[in-house]
Amino acid sequence: MSSFRRKDPSKQSNLKSYAGTHISPASSSIANTSTGITSLDDILGGGLPLSCSLVVAAPDLHSSYGDLVQRYFIAEGLACGHRMCIIDDFAQDFMQDVMWFPRSSSAPIAETEGSASSSVKEGDGMPGGDFKEDEELSQEDRKVKIAWRYENMKTFQTTVSASSSTLENYCHVFDLTSRVPVSLVDEALRSQRLSLVATRGPSSTDSERWSPTTSALRHIEQVLQGQTTVPVRVCIPFLGSPISWGDITTTDVLHFFHSLRALLRKYPHGCASITLSPKLSSDTWGGSGWLQKVGWLTDAAIKMTAFSADPSLSATFPAHHGLVHILSLPCPSTLVAPSDRFSTLRGLASSASGFGGSGENNLAFKCTRKRLIFETLHLDLDGGVSERRTTAPSSTAVELTTATGASISAATGEKCNHTATGDHTHISGGPKIDIELEGGARDPPKMDAQKEVVAVEGAASGTSDKKAKKPKKRVAFFSERPDVYDF
Amino acid sequence: MLPPFDIPAGSFTLVTDELAAPADFLIHQVVNGYIKEHPRPGRGAQVGEESSSPKVVILSANADIAKWKAVSSKHGVNLPLHISSGVVKFVDIASQCSLSEVSEPRLSATFDVVSGLLPSKAPTSGNVVILDDVSTLEWIGFSPLDIIRFVRALRIACHKSKSTLIARYHITIPGEIDNQLTQLLTVCTYHLDVRPLYSGRSGAVTGEIALHRGAAAPPDDVKLIRRSGSLQYRLLDTGPVYFQKGTSEGVL
Repeated sequence: MSSFRRKDPSKQSNLKSYAGTHISPASSSIANTSTGITSLDDILGGGLPLSCSLVVAAPDLHSSYGDLVQRYFIAEGLACGHRMCIIDDFAQDFMQDVMWFPRSSSAPIAETEGSASSSVKEGDGMPGGDFKEDEELSQEDRKVKIAWRYENMKTFQTTVSASSSTLENYCHVFDLTSRVPVSLVDEALRSQRLSLVATRGPSSTDSERWSPTTSALRHIEQVLQGQTTVPVRVCIPFLGSPISWGDITTTDVLHFFHSLRALLRKYPHGCASITLSPKLSSDTWGGSGWLQKVGWLTDAAIKMTAFSADPSLSATFPAHHGLVHILSLPCPSTLVAPSDRFSTLRGLASSASGFGGSGENNLAFKCTRKRLIFETLHLDLDGGVSERRTTAPSSTAVELTTATGASISAATGEKCNHTATGDHTHISGGPKIDIELEGGARDPPKMDAQKEVVAVEGAASGTSDKKAKKPKKRVAFFSERPDVYDF
Repeated sequence: MLPPFDIPAGSFTLVTDELAAPADFLIHQVVNGYIKEHPRPGRGAQVGEESSSPKVVILSANADIAKWKAVSSKHGVNLPLHISSGVVKFVDIASQCSLSEVSEPRLSATFDVVSGLLPSKAPTSGNVVILDDVSTLEWIGFSPLDIIRFVRALRIACHKSKSTLIARYHITIPGEIDNQLTQLLTVCTYHLDVRPLYSGRSGAVTGEIALHRGAAAPPDDVKLIRRSGSLQYRLLDTGPVYFQKGTSEGVL
């Protein structure tokens, strides 16, 4: 008799299956739950595993992408019917800004405990209006003549698309233009599926030394003990903000992460998602190596560095709003993080199988009108900022008109003549570049333009100086792609 | 022990790693290798002093037994069985000292537990004590002085019972050696340094390892691996695959 026995996949996993979770592709004993953002789920290797904690560091003071990630986390928890616990003093206000399903498709009825698969009705069939735009664009692209050898290749994709099936109760597609209905939030609060916990408050026994982190841990433990039938999502949108958390020290934060991880391991049906306040997200507060320590004490840690602090970066990468650095990835039951094998965005799996093996892709994020997307970051088709152009693109020609009305696009090539401005452009007294304006303008207008530019420079008029200087300072190039804010 | 490194038993090995190249796999390799080499005695075996004390003591600052069990099962080792039979003993340091309630936690309680677990006279087959990891203890609130005293006391206790001690330390600033690490390096016999590639993450190579002699090393024939000629490894779920730097034998 053969000792070989076929493994029955249905019996293989003795893991209790919760609503709104998937079995991890790397290990049958771990369930992944969605963060609400498809591309972030891909980066994490299929989703955030239950019993793991995710920390998002957002060091930029002027943007709020970190708590945008938390809003997605909460929206996904509400849509899946998970038990939610939000720890913040202003959680009620935070809840009002949580996104929801697009108005065009019908919103699903709130999941109650024990109900089966989702009751999402198929509205217009498409997961969101944005995809319609993307499809139209790609169809236009197809009309472009492609060299025959590349015709069979699939289109260049920078991100993973959302699951087209709207019936699946995992990673719902949310629309940033719509808000969660107040009735849904009230109903969730009433039925104890959602609890908003304030950090400030007297502890149960006054003799103990009270601190926000210990009281938060106590609340989390109570929630985890109280609810075992559905997954528990703990969300802390602003860890370390001075109003809610007071004078918190690095040891407090690290001890909190350590204890939270121990709690989540003890009650493996829970998961946590935390955003560090901007002050805590940088090494200036925590000392050098601070984010490394956070990465060691949590399961998954990413840093979203927005470009708003650095205008040159936002000019270099106009299609994105910030960079993503991965510090650590969840690896609850294997030596190698599942993300290394299964993440499309990181690209390690494809590179490892080939000869040699290249590094992983750079990642960035962008926030469009309707959603937050994590993408791979590539340099422009033109090869980056150091390439020298010989023809002014038509869009540049349109924009660079002075107050006098004449086109000074020719001036971009003649920068060598204007050394008086002392600008940092790389062309300095070098060879003259011939510029041919698109649209037929030939030598005479060029000569006139040059004269006029000189006159403009000499006139020292504020606006035209700015306009003359503006093309020089820009080191990135305009392309024919529509601006993402064109609506 | 620890192939392909030729580290002799009874020594104190300090394993340092970074976030981009964690050394979990080395610790798992030690435990699984030890269990495979010293199978559990059968029921009919004599109950001597050797079987009453655990062979492998794991002092963990991160209570993650589920991961240990999952990884060991991938290597063909039934860890729950060995835990229940007493061959492997887990000690959770953080819960031993009840950090949250004491303003200045001390590691002396943990040390008492460990010294009770080690055999009083050196057994024929050496034990293994693993301290995972020293930096987490410092980060969550133990004083650095307390930690280094604990490590030294542990080293002496292991030396008396001829047990192998392996301690792990995380480096948070690449290239910089802080006070804690300096003191650990003065006590250790060998130093296994696991680092990620300088050029960032790669699909084919996970990191590189170097083996240095510590300050307390006796003159012996252990083959060292210098940083310049370090061994590279690629981490798979079944364990690491080692290869010489710059070659592609059987990996790429």
